[in-house]
Amino acid sequence: MMVRSTAEILVFIAFIGAQTVAGQSWMTQTGTVEFISSVPFFTFTGTSQHLTGVINLADSTVDFYVDLSTLKTGIGKRDKDMRLSLDIKEYPFAEFYGKLITDFDRSIPDGQAAMVEGVFTLHGVKKNVRLSGVLQLIGDQLVLDAGWDLNLEDYNIVPPKLLIVKVDEIQKIRITATLDPMNSQ
Amino acid sequence: MKQFSGIKYRPVCLFLFLALSIGAGTVQAQIPRRLVDPGGPVDELFLSQNIVVTSSVSNLPAGNLNFTIMHVFGRVDEGVQSLWGVDGPANIRFGLDYGISDRLSIGVGRSQFDKLYDFRFKANLLRQSKDGKMPIELALKGDMGIMTESNGFEFSDRLNYLGAVMLARRMSDKISLQVSPMISHFNTVSTEHNGETDMHVEEKTHFAVALGGRILVNDRVALLVEYIPVFGDRTTATENAFAVALNIETGGHVFVIYLKTSDYLTEQHVIARNSEEFFRGDFRLGFIINRVFSLN
Repeated sequence: MMVRSTAEILVFIAFIGAQTVAGQSWMTQTGTVEFISSVPFFTFTGTSQHLTGVINLADSTVDFYVDLSTLKTGIGKRDKDMRLSLDIKEYPFAEFYGKLITDFDRSIPDGQAAMVEGVFTLHGVKKNVRLSGVLQLIGDQLVLDAGWDLNLEDYNIVPPKLLIVKVDEIQKIRITATLDPMNSQ
Repeated sequence: MKQFSGIKYRPVCLFLFLALSIGAGTVQAQIPRRLVDPGGPVDELFLSQNIVVTSSVSNLPAGNLNFTIMHVFGRVDEGVQSLWGVDGPANIRFGLDYGISDRLSIGVGRSQFDKLYDFRFKANLLRQSKDGKMPIELALKGDMGIMTESNGFEFSDRLNYLGAVMLARRMSDKISLQVSPMISHFNTVSTEHNGETDMHVEEKTHFAVALGGRILVNDRVALLVEYIPVFGDRTTATENAFAVALNIETGGHVFVIYLKTSDYLTEQHVIARNSEEFFRGDFRLGFIINRVFSLN
């Protein structure tokens, strides 16, 4: 009887533990990535609706990636240029893996400034980065909005040319996502 | 309740403990990276919507508008005196094509010869897939031309048509091949008697099988070849058309420089009304400029 009780307690502890971790994890597969490129006289925007990621408040893990082939600029030829510049056959994903280094208070309904620190990987180049954004808990969903400037040269990417005009090496990146609690998926 | 005896019950609980613990642990691990569409369509089989004169299976993405200028000069064998045909009579076609979806485009064009307006569509029924499950690309094309030059013809007499089935495959990163059975039809043709014995007879309908190929020199430059043999009855003195071209892609532009037989720029005319034979030296210099815009 004693053995049985101990085993039940172990299962209960593990179950509660799993629920605690899962209950503090949110995931999306339909987040948005947007980049804005500048060339002299105009800008263009590329977008993907396939940002995938997890935020785990229990251990502060933040893990996001996007399949770069899903980025669309509205012109097929320009998309192809982008795919060539990013060499997506060799490096199909842009990804971030790191930790949330600011506190997030689940009792506050407003958006809270958040900062993450970790490794951003693009074009096979890994860089330690610190990125900031806003996190907000709306109902049981976690809403993320973040943006930063990305220098293509930092990732050994040669900016493509449109005719003879070179695309600026600084790209404005913005990600937005509504993450669902993982135990509801 | 025997199944819940201490001996069997304890391993079950330990298994559940481990499973739940590991399950909780996996939340912290990196999520597996997966491609959204690993079996999606292969990248462009051809850099532009044309091989040279004939259409390629490549279609415009949805919301893209392609403006085309096709130009062909006089015959190169006219020599230096006419700057190898540049001074000769030229034909030019302006065209607009629009991608209604990634698989369907419509277009309109206007050629100088015959003051011809043509209306066309292209539909991709099958797309070659990256995972090899669909090994070929299959597209249909239709084109209707209306000759508007003043000549006293009725409207219905001014019409001509093209129907084509395009089968293509990207054989490797560098090489794409296409086979296109085609039919060309003119509502009105002429029969001329030149002297007593030399008679020129035009056929209303021609069948041809166009063969096209592309070799990528690098990501932006390609060499193309096109041969359009006509089968069955044909207009007197009609030759099989042939062309070679160089494609250069620069972002939203595709430039094409070519040597081709025939001074016509629509397929139905090239099939039925080409009297030039490439390897006899009867060919012309020309170019195509394609510019893509987004209307999204």
